[in-house]
Amino acid sequence: MDGLAITLPRIGWEGGNAYGVGCLVRWSDAEMSVVDKPRVKRPTKAKTDQRAHEMLRMMLLIRRFEERTYQEYTRPGQRIGGFCHLYSGQEAVAVGIAAVFAKGKDYLITAYRDHGHSLALGMDPGAAMAEMFGRATGCSKGKGGSMHLFQAEVGNLGGHGIVGSQIPLGAGAAFACKYKNTGGVCFTLFGDGAINQGVHNETLNLASLWKLPVVFIVENNGVAMGTQVERSSAEVELERRGSGYHMPYQAFDGNDLDQVIDVVGEAADRARAGSGPTYLVANTYRFRGHSMSDAMKYRTKEELEQARRRDPLVIYEARLREAGAIGDEQLEAMDAEVRKQVDAAVKFAIDSPHPDAQDLYSDVYSEKYPLEKK
Amino acid sequence: MPEIQFREALRQAMVEEMQRDENVFLMGEEVGEYNGAYKVSEGMLAKFGPKRVIDTPISEAGFSGIGVGAAMCGLRPIVEFMSWSFTWVAIDQIVNNAANVRYMSGGQFKIPIVFRGGNGIAHQLGATHSHRMESVYARVPGLVVVAPSTPFDAKGLLKSSIRCDDPVIFLESEMMLNDRGEVPDGEYLVPLGVADVKRGGKDVTIISWGKCMKYAVKAAAMLESEGIDAEIIDLRTLRPLDVNTVAESVRKTHRCVVVDEDWPYGGMGAAVLEQVYKHTFDDLDAPIQRVCCEDVPSPYNHYLEIQMQPSPEKVVAAVKEVCYR
Repeated sequence: MDGLAITLPRIGWEGGNAYGVGCLVRWSDAEMSVVDKPRVKRPTKAKTDQRAHEMLRMMLLIRRFEERTYQEYTRPGQRIGGFCHLYSGQEAVAVGIAAVFAKGKDYLITAYRDHGHSLALGMDPGAAMAEMFGRATGCSKGKGGSMHLFQAEVGNLGGHGIVGSQIPLGAGAAFACKYKNTGGVCFTLFGDGAINQGVHNETLNLASLWKLPVVFIVENNGVAMGTQVERSSAEVELERRGSGYHMPYQAFDGNDLDQVIDVVGEAADRARAGSGPTYLVANTYRFRGHSMSDAMKYRTKEELEQARRRDPLVIYEARLREAGAIGDEQLEAMDAEVRKQVDAAVKFAIDSPHPDAQDLYSDVYSEKYPLEKK
Repeated sequence: MPEIQFREALRQAMVEEMQRDENVFLMGEEVGEYNGAYKVSEGMLAKFGPKRVIDTPISEAGFSGIGVGAAMCGLRPIVEFMSWSFTWVAIDQIVNNAANVRYMSGGQFKIPIVFRGGNGIAHQLGATHSHRMESVYARVPGLVVVAPSTPFDAKGLLKSSIRCDDPVIFLESEMMLNDRGEVPDGEYLVPLGVADVKRGGKDVTIISWGKCMKYAVKAAAMLESEGIDAEIIDLRTLRPLDVNTVAESVRKTHRCVVVDEDWPYGGMGAAVLEQVYKHTFDDLDAPIQRVCCEDVPSPYNHYLEIQMQPSPEKVVAAVKEVCYR
């Protein structure tokens, strides 16, 4: 790897910033300094204190929601089944995108780690929890589960279970925006594992060729299930994948909410202006395992400790405190409120009915057959 | 009534529907500047421009998925595959996305998209280019599978498919595109999910679809000279299957032969045959016979390729067997 570093120009590689193999989160020194020293120097992007509170609150809601999801999955009398992937640690990405998302115009699509994005776009936590409980009141009527949360009316094109499969769908949504000239963009999210799939390559090329208004965002949490980026991608500077498709590319600190808003917002503006797609890599970290059965033996204690210091909630809270935009009292009230909201979501899910037996056959088709069209 | 080619019938359907609804567009490999690999879309780029007749790179999975995403957001794409054989690389997009998204979103999305192109064995294209994909897609809930056998049906069914709010798998054949048939001037539609009795008869029911209908029709003429009066049912839609029309016929004739070019094991004809048994077992006077392809990859050699496929003679032999003649 060192040999390669000498012969290939690597953006951000210089400056003593050598990421060792096995270190999953490749924070730059500058990024680490946000935690260690002048982390509050950056002013918050929120236009008002209230907006800042809303965003912090949403990150906190996602965190508490996921903690509760973990409990409901692992408790005796397990209430959530199947595969379930928690978003804890990556909250700033979803909340930052939601901050620049134009409702009624834009679309978002993601993979199976989809709870955070759905909540950030405004899904009722009750509808999300009920979906995981398999109830008829779930956002997908209990037919999708944790990996398949959808909310059509806000442009949430859903969570998708096959790695990388949603990437062309996102470009298709962007295609529709361009075709109908709506000014909308599609935020197309996927993990660092998905970039090695064939449709990733096909879609990047098509989107750039056709200048589709799409923002590709790799949520790079450093590990595809249990395979570190260094073991799965020949090019570890993942953002460079964008260069082969003639589109602007950039990696950024996905745990810094304000940076997410900045970078993603700029890419969205570019898409809206007709300049085509951007390839972004949000470097982040997941605190939980890949799914519920993952004991995370591929991680060291030190690494996790380092990541905890880079917790997106900690960073943003500290920034607001430093700016005098929030205090203990408000934070405590916010946390109490969020916990109550999550309790209510669980209660709603428990109290909700399972789908009726006759619902088995509903929603397979839009039409009734034989179909005589006029 | 004017007589036109199968390909012209397909083109008329697309042109009329694109004129009718600006959300309909065509994309695929060589559909535009090349005027279609098989000239189905000839002249359409000149007529509609590059916004609505879109040449794609060779990325079947990528552009299929873009079509599905666009359909989720209000457009009505027609995606042309140069060959259905090439959709092995796009199958995740068609099955997991086109077919599943509606169900797993609890009905929040409709996916009005038509995937169309040549299906089955053409002429000496070898094992990779000769796949019969009907059984691959017809087993998937959420998809509609259509296979016309005449220019008239091709036009009417394609127009219905484009207007359908569900994803439609539209199976043509390179071997039918030059076929000529009567197609009336003016607008008409053929309903989806309705089989057609192409020839009335009393002694045996021959069920087929798509290109194999030619074998059935030829066989019926040969049988007539031997005093056997065959009824021919063209399924036209393979999913959902028009079981009623099939069952009604078999209850009348008490004998049935299914003709298709899929493989014997797990093939489309086997699924149809199961449905016929299920609905008409007590009415049958003989076990149902199936005429299908041999259980081998499609060979390149012309004679082996012919040997591998159904033929009118094989259909005649199967009919005689169920008639105990």
